[in-house]
Amino acid sequence: MPKLTIDGKSIEVAKGTTVLEAAAKLGVYIPRYCYHPSLSISGNCRMCLVEVEKAPKLLTACSTEAAEGMVVRTDSEKVKAARRDVLEYLLINHPLDCPICDQAGECGLQDYYMEYSLKKSRFAAADKVTRQKRRALGPHLVLDNERCILCTRCVRFCSEVTKTSELEVMERADHSFIDLKEGKALDNDYSMNIADLCPVGAWTSRDFRFKQRVWFLKKTPTVCLGCATGCLAEAQHNENVIYRVMPRPNAETNTWLCDRGRLAYKAVTAGDRLAKGFIKNGLIDLEPALREAATRIDEAKGAVAVLGSPWLSIEDNAALAALAIEAVKTENFCFDFPAEQGIKDGILINKDAAPNTAGVKLVKAARGGISLEELSRRLLAGQIKVVITEARAAGFIKEALKAAAPRLITFATNRGEIPQGAYATLPYASYFETPGTFVNYQGLKRRTEPAVTPPEGVKPLWGLVNKLAAYSGDSLHLNSSEDALKGVKL
Amino acid sequence: MISVKKVNNRPLNFLERIYLWEIGRGLLVTSRHFFVNLFNPKKIVTVSYPEQRLPLPGAAGQRTRHRLKVRADGSPKCVACFMCQTACPAYCIRIEAAEYPDNTVEKYPAVFDIDLSRCVMCGMCVEACPEDAISMDTGEIPGGAGDRGELLMTRGDLLRNLPGEPSVKGAANRLANEYLEGKE
Repeated sequence: MPKLTIDGKSIEVAKGTTVLEAAAKLGVYIPRYCYHPSLSISGNCRMCLVEVEKAPKLLTACSTEAAEGMVVRTDSEKVKAARRDVLEYLLINHPLDCPICDQAGECGLQDYYMEYSLKKSRFAAADKVTRQKRRALGPHLVLDNERCILCTRCVRFCSEVTKTSELEVMERADHSFIDLKEGKALDNDYSMNIADLCPVGAWTSRDFRFKQRVWFLKKTPTVCLGCATGCLAEAQHNENVIYRVMPRPNAETNTWLCDRGRLAYKAVTAGDRLAKGFIKNGLIDLEPALREAATRIDEAKGAVAVLGSPWLSIEDNAALAALAIEAVKTENFCFDFPAEQGIKDGILINKDAAPNTAGVKLVKAARGGISLEELSRRLLAGQIKVVITEARAAGFIKEALKAAAPRLITFATNRGEIPQGAYATLPYASYFETPGTFVNYQGLKRRTEPAVTPPEGVKPLWGLVNKLAAYSGDSLHLNSSEDALKGVKL
Repeated sequence: MISVKKVNNRPLNFLERIYLWEIGRGLLVTSRHFFVNLFNPKKIVTVSYPEQRLPLPGAAGQRTRHRLKVRADGSPKCVACFMCQTACPAYCIRIEAAEYPDNTVEKYPAVFDIDLSRCVMCGMCVEACPEDAISMDTGEIPGGAGDRGELLMTRGDLLRNLPGEPSVKGAANRLANEYLEGKE
């Protein structure tokens, strides 16, 4: 356990810890471009130079291992001068097109210039070496070589994280630039992380490009609901529109976010977003749709089945359980979804495509219910006339639904989710619009916070369930998502 | 140094207290102005705005209605960097950026609206612009309007008017035009 002193403060760290990491533990920030906690150490940007006693030259903090008795200074004149000079060097050929650069506002060059340099350039704009400006690389990214500082984070990400090695530094010395390897395409499942990784504006996301300036964006913690991995994410939005979703790096689950999960927010404002009810093939206002659904449920009293969904939060599943037990008073309800869980591709994508399979188990533990096979059997035996479920969960009993053809009442956010043959569909607020609790494949509780407000008239699912029961003359007293959770142990 | 005016707060004397004398004095001032203006209308200080205008002094810091400048090829100089929108204290600028498919500049404003009914004419947008693309030198003072829509300057309106050219938009101009039309 080496003990070292950084800026007069001493700390004991584990063997193998670098000076930069030790400094972070002490709360001393050392500027860096090429260093990234989840990638290998490259030490090429020279931004993290620090002064170490008895060392003849400045050392890179990111690649220097902490040693016993080391005395490090990060605030000496020598270090400050080195930072200024490194920045001047990095900015020699920088095009300074911040007005049209999406990175402006969260750019490493801008931030560090203001923090550590504030020096006038000694190079005339006319002398700058120009390089290839924007070009689309892959389905999600745009590369601008002129803005690149060659920190190689993107190259290391592709070779170490996705192991697809699409990118490489071409040429030598000051001719070098980042490019695709011959015969490769930048279309791996995690490519959009490169736009986050890039400390400057060289890599930008085609989806986010020119949509919004980053300083207007507000951040709301959320969870990616693309699969059972349940990565922590952050919805960035302005004026009630989500513009992008970024990962919230954490030790337990994720540092990155896959492209599919990152773009899942698009369903919120997609053209097929449901704001009204849907009876057979016609759009209808929510209230008449609810009344119609309630009438059908009342008609089939005793022959109604309620199926929960691993795509819904624990609150909403609990509300469905309350509907089955307290309002419809049926035995035919199922909160049991067998699914194989585990990371499929070795990075983040899970074998289980539904985000809350583990969470639904908690509802089953609290409220009971029959198994999926039993529900299918009862359907085929003709004991069930009406099925209430979430649109995607209907896929679990597809065969039985086809054969028995009961009246199917579904809840959906988008028109594309509605299963074939659904009798009535009720729109509910997505989890970017309403809070919800999920349990990921590791058994960790994940909570989404509402980032935007739902379209006018659209309610959270527990609210719909409450109304549905009210139309049948039962009161469930669900006035908030917490009410729905009653009796379910998280 | 701030100039200080000493106010004499002496108590009113008898004549002032009965008011009649003071009312007469006031009427005297009013009627003097009335008769002077009646027989010598050229000396009237008041201008019937917006039908009549005084020439603006044209000082460097003068801020009149905005315009967007254009490049030699007619495209807007604006690159939709949102600096003016960020600086605007009245939240009256709305920009939507778009991308040129083949141009070194890459970015341009597809929508550039200034809501003059919100604008406080502070000139912060001009200060903030890194491209010198917006200026407030049209020499036109936005007036009132019959409805809000007339005060919304779109990209087209902002690009059309060069300094010295009268604008087709703006309530003050509309009233003046109607007035002139009625005269003929």
